Amino acid sequence: MKHIILSVALSFTSFPVMAQTQDIVDGHILPRFAALAETGAALSDAATADCAATSAPLRDAYNTAFDAWIAVSHLRFGPAEVDDRAFAMAFWPDSRGSTPKALGALIRAADPIAESAEAYADVSVAARGFYAMEFLLYDEPISTAGDDAYRCQLTQTVADDIAQVTAAIYADWEADYTANLTGPSDLYRTETEALQEMFKALSTGLQFTSESRLGRPLGTFDAPKPRRAEAWRSGRSARNVELSLVSLRDLAERLSEGDATLLAAFDVALTRLETLDDPIFAGVAEPQNRFKVEVIQQAVNDIRDIAAQDLGPKLGVAAGFNSLDGD
Amino acid sequence: MANRRQFLAGLLATGLTPKTTWADAGGPTYLSAAAKPDGSFVLCGIDAACNILFELPLPTRGHAAAAHPSRPEAVAFARRPGTFAMIIDCVTGESSALLDAPAGRHFYGHGAFSADGTWLFTTENDYEAGEGRIGVWDATRGYARVDEFSSGGIGPHDIKRLSGSDMLVVANGGIDTHPDSGRTKLNIPTMVPNLAYVADGKVLETAELPPEWHKNSIRHLAVARDGQVAFGMQWQGDKLEPALVGVHQTGAELRLLSAPADALREMQAYVGSIAFTDDDRQVVVTSPRGGIVQTYDVDAEALIGETRLTDVCGVALADGGVLTSTGTGALVHLNGTRAETRSIAQLQWDNHLVRLDA
Repeated sequence: MKHIILSVALSFTSFPVMAQTQDIVDGHILPRFAALAETGAALSDAATADCAATSAPLRDAYNTAFDAWIAVSHLRFGPAEVDDRAFAMAFWPDSRGSTPKALGALIRAADPIAESAEAYADVSVAARGFYAMEFLLYDEPISTAGDDAYRCQLTQTVADDIAQVTAAIYADWEADYTANLTGPSDLYRTETEALQEMFKALSTGLQFTSESRLGRPLGTFDAPKPRRAEAWRSGRSARNVELSLVSLRDLAERLSEGDATLLAAFDVALTRLETLDDPIFAGVAEPQNRFKVEVIQQAVNDIRDIAAQDLGPKLGVAAGFNSLDGD
Repeated sequence: MANRRQFLAGLLATGLTPKTTWADAGGPTYLSAAAKPDGSFVLCGIDAACNILFELPLPTRGHAAAAHPSRPEAVAFARRPGTFAMIIDCVTGESSALLDAPAGRHFYGHGAFSADGTWLFTTENDYEAGEGRIGVWDATRGYARVDEFSSGGIGPHDIKRLSGSDMLVVANGGIDTHPDSGRTKLNIPTMVPNLAYVADGKVLETAELPPEWHKNSIRHLAVARDGQVAFGMQWQGDKLEPALVGVHQTGAELRLLSAPADALREMQAYVGSIAFTDDDRQVVVTSPRGGIVQTYDVDAEALIGETRLTDVCGVALADGGVLTSTGTGALVHLNGTRAETRSIAQLQWDNHLVRLDA
């Protein structure tokens, strides 16, 4: 009898942690990758139906799929990293303009590699994924460059490639990675290790939104760089910040089991973003508007601090002077 | 050109300026940057008994330091992607020169002097081109920028001079970054780290990892008296890194030092600093993320011991073993698996403990 009580007690003490991983997988990860695969397929269908850069259904399908990408863009482990899939979907920041260069070269040469998504998987990652697609749909001159028929095929192939890669990521999550993560497995021996992986996704996601999505257009006070904002051609810069924060907030809520301080910090950032009427951060060059973007970045950095100092240590992630520095 | 310059500089140094030596600075054995409890930053000189000899203010957070081989001058580098380095006169505590990275360059936080102390070499990023550069500064003329050359790769981080020669070894980490997006890594799928040996401004040899391990960023270096180079890596791939420590000798292949998978995992894919022990037969690496120090035997090519130490990062040669420094202010002497805390300061020791005569 005593023995039975003990084993019941043990299973109860370990259960909540497993439940937390399972909750993150079922509630955060899988639905987002499912949505990505679904909207990726719809994007390919829309491009097949009408490949014109100005096509409203195509642009809608693109924006819907890009939304779905931003919501998973922090989940850079496991299936998203196989064959560098995440890089192929999201080659950004593109500090040296590789995407327009690569697309321009393909279009000028009418390179037959664009005839199929299978062959296209071998081109430079700069010419693949959502950021390349943005150039094909919204950039002048890329969206009007070269031969219409070739550009049409290129658009369809980039869309098809997105559909195939996003489908493959979701298929891998379903096939075995869910089991790996909710393990124990060779990759994650304990629930703590799985939760640490999620924490890393949270903190690198926050860092990316702060340093790249907000930091790039901000540049410095003397040299603001509005044209370095993410996806400004399609008018998505602030939207991407919002979508990333909403998704990261969901992960943070599950990971911290609803820590009020952490969630309040997210809400500060989201509220500040809501009152910003500058969808592509064009105002970073004017002191008044720049300040509004700076305080959003500061709010994201506050979330990072709280996550690193409070949540990290609870999950066994060191919050030391050196361990947080990383160089 | 360089010889003529050295000659003139030599005349200048012997003829006109009163000479101070490291003894005038109290004879420190180590340098380390640190943060103080009030949030300010300093560069400290530390003696062999782990006493702090001096504490000199830095404008921002430091990373590594380099010590002039004869003059009591230290170079304190800002953390990446900093654009300045400060020359500190360790006798007066004054800043004697400020190195501004040229336009379009930033420092990586490490540097090394030529054997005679004439030249300072700094690892830099030509970030519009995405190429690693080595900047050359003339220590005899107020650290004037005189030249630069290729580092032989992308993302050069640590740089050391081989013992008894003017051959430099550079850890090209392989990771492309651009200061407009902070430390965001831009080229993980295509990164190719290497060790590059450079002398007289030319890359004489590079050594790369096997292609399947191209995501293992070679970051920090230690040099042995026999010319052997040990390197610590940071794995950028997804899970299951192959190894994090290796050794190399010019003309040979890279050798990786192995550890059981569980022990490797404790390092959290991250080596923060690396040092040889007294006899050059062992390599000690630290991981602040794992809070662990690991010792590898060079001949056996394998892990032989580990010690847990919270927020450990700096490590340097010491009598009878190595000295490690931590973000909690401790200086801990390690001999095999025996750890002895030598001092605890109200400081957070930053990243690297630099030994003066190393």
